[in-house]
Amino acid sequence: MVDVEKLREIAREVVSREDVRQLIGYRQGTYGFRARPAFITSPEEVDQLIFSPACVNNLATYLTLEERLPVPRGQEPDLRKVAVMVKGCDSRALVQQMEEKAYERDRIVVLGIPCTGVVDMDKVEKRFPNVLSRGEIALEGDKFVLSFDGKREEVPKEELLADKCKRCRYPTPLVYDQLLDEEVSRFADDDYADVLALEKRSAEEKWAYWEEKFSRCIRCYSCRNVCPMCYCEDCVLDRLNPQWMRRSVDISETTAYHIARAYHLAGRCIQCGECQRVCPVEIPLMELNRKFYKDVEELYDYEPGTDAEAPPLLATFKVDDREDFIL
Amino acid sequence: MAEKNSDFEPNIVAFLCNWCSYAGADLAGTSRIQYPSNVRVIRVMCSGRVNPLFVMNALQQGADGVLISGCHPGDCHYMQGNYYARRRFMLMRNFLEYLGVEPERVRMSWVSASEGAKWKEVIEEVVSGVKSVGPMNKFQRRQLNW
Amino acid sequence: MAVKKLNKDKVKEALQELTKFRLIAPAKSDEVVVFKQISDPEEAFLDYGNSTVPPKKVVFPQTETLFRFQRGNPELREKNVEEEGTTVIFGLRPCDARAMSIVDNLFSWDYEDPYYLKRRELTTLVGMGCVNPPSVNCFCTSVGGEPCGTENLDILLIDLGEGYLVRELTEKGKKLAETIGSFLEDAPGGSEAKAEELSGSAKEAVSRSIDTSGIEAKLPTLWESPLWKEVSAACLGCGICTYLCPTCHCFDIQDEVEGAEGRRCRMWDSCMFRAHTLHASGPNPRPARKERTRNRINHKYSYFPGKFGVIACVGCGRCINLCPVNIDILEILGKVVEA
Repeated sequence: MVDVEKLREIAREVVSREDVRQLIGYRQGTYGFRARPAFITSPEEVDQLIFSPACVNNLATYLTLEERLPVPRGQEPDLRKVAVMVKGCDSRALVQQMEEKAYERDRIVVLGIPCTGVVDMDKVEKRFPNVLSRGEIALEGDKFVLSFDGKREEVPKEELLADKCKRCRYPTPLVYDQLLDEEVSRFADDDYADVLALEKRSAEEKWAYWEEKFSRCIRCYSCRNVCPMCYCEDCVLDRLNPQWMRRSVDISETTAYHIARAYHLAGRCIQCGECQRVCPVEIPLMELNRKFYKDVEELYDYEPGTDAEAPPLLATFKVDDREDFIL
Repeated sequence: MAEKNSDFEPNIVAFLCNWCSYAGADLAGTSRIQYPSNVRVIRVMCSGRVNPLFVMNALQQGADGVLISGCHPGDCHYMQGNYYARRRFMLMRNFLEYLGVEPERVRMSWVSASEGAKWKEVIEEVVSGVKSVGPMNKFQRRQLNW
Repeated sequence: MAVKKLNKDKVKEALQELTKFRLIAPAKSDEVVVFKQISDPEEAFLDYGNSTVPPKKVVFPQTETLFRFQRGNPELREKNVEEEGTTVIFGLRPCDARAMSIVDNLFSWDYEDPYYLKRRELTTLVGMGCVNPPSVNCFCTSVGGEPCGTENLDILLIDLGEGYLVRELTEKGKKLAETIGSFLEDAPGGSEAKAEELSGSAKEAVSRSIDTSGIEAKLPTLWESPLWKEVSAACLGCGICTYLCPTCHCFDIQDEVEGAEGRRCRMWDSCMFRAHTLHASGPNPRPARKERTRNRINHKYSYFPGKFGVIACVGCGRCINLCPVNIDILEILGKVVEA
């Protein structure tokens, strides 16, 4: 567990630096067990910072999300660094962003959090519904301890752990300037059981499965917006000419949207699971992303977000890539 | 489905590279080689030009199958375009299969400018493959509805 | 008004009877509750908190065709909403019903929208009172509603345990109640009192609140406040808060052409999207998330009440529950009050 006092101390140091503009971390949410992003610009605000298994957000998204607006005449653009707190999975987003030259390494300060797993907030709220007062979640051994309304509840880790954490290969950040705790060694792996099971079904069954899911989609684009890898300034979805995906919402356009979204993440998705977490209608988007992840690993022996020096998967090739499907 | 649609004539959209496959298809024509007439050809400069969105969009707009054809590895006019295309469509094909689009609908081939006869074989194979899985009935745009 | 009761063992039969109309009811799609047209009463899932997507989509569909056109043919074929037939929305929450009456203001304002208004006319709303407020983030009582409110409903059902108390509120409601009259029985004495008691306790159970009295006047004074940058810093710019809001009603109009034929359609749009205000020539008057968040709050709590005298928020709590980064409209309003 990260010692919050130590975290705040380090954060205070970082925010006080002259070459750092802001620090992106976590703070308590507005109700229940929620935590939310915090944007710290002065040492006085540092005491808001927390880290707990409720800190689910991938903050790497914010590095590419912030608008770069024109600077008023006579003013200089603020080019100071941004500091960011990342868990193991989140750090892979930084690696992948840097692999794609989204920014240079020296533009960011990374506070790495060796992570023992975060909760799935849906599971927590299902188990403890209607908690309004602010509660806390901590991991003690193999149990999550939830304290709220003067009560203390223990739940086996397995039952509240986010699914992505059950498949996590990199709990310790792959890139950091300071590590906030002892390294955590790999405690899980992905066996792709659900992807393999779906692959075995017939074409009709597969389509029936996805048609049900996609037909719920309301195209709020939260899966795109939350994704740290979706940072094109001019997204193909917003283009009107050519308009690859129409704005009208029906099964055809929605399927097209999901194909385009998932394909754009082929060899880029770093398995942080944010898209599936934020989806209000619970479309299992990670089953799409992990299909690519699995294929990319099997076919090209490539794992996104692990090596900032490697060339992006689809911007490179090997002469002997598999081609048995070609006539 | 194939039995039910024995008279089903599929629509197949083929993206052919300018330098090899388009010339190969042309050779088939000038050599008077007969092959199924289900193919609608779109010429692109290189198989590496084919955006996976083209495939998705063709299927949406009523194609029952899509073929992408380029130069043999090593022969690309632009040195590497077909290698990139190969990676791209390997993944695309697997992914569409995962969504329930039969792999017979998304095909890729290498046809050189001298392979008029191979072009015929490729088309026969693609057409019979698409015929075996029947019309595209998944995420194509329905007739414009109210 | 007549007081009747619909026993729970008769609900399925009553719903079966109602399928002769276009019947929309809450149903499960995997674990998600959605309002959809049902033809089999078994599909209905009445024991629910609230739906993820509000039933506004029934009268204001996410995508709707306005008219169709053909190349070379100057005639436009207009959509005839009447063809959709009489619609019954069964089991919607009072807040979502109230939201429709708020949206009505807009669609019957300077221009009377024939599509929307026709659909509203054809739709009968059968509400299901919230005996237990479905979420901790409900705050309907702060914005003029209540858990068992009757505003804009044609019939209100209140769950008394073994059956629903049926309150017929309008002529439309009375007519609908007649069609399922054979499944209704007279409510035993004291039912009305019990329902009153339940709605009273439900009101007490609404846990969050905000004093909205000064907000409309105060918001314009906070235009340049640093507050907006602060509350929008975490915003992802997605459409969850607006698409899932029962009162949000922004739309876009686009032409879709297929060969020589095409249609003009209207689809939901969200003020949280960059493209919402992007001009064709390039500039964007709401260039960042700060301006978009400010607009969302101002529209709901200042512009709309200024124009129509009612806050464009019914306190359903969806935007709080489902925001991926825990942006909380009550917190923002609290800051507005304090500022």
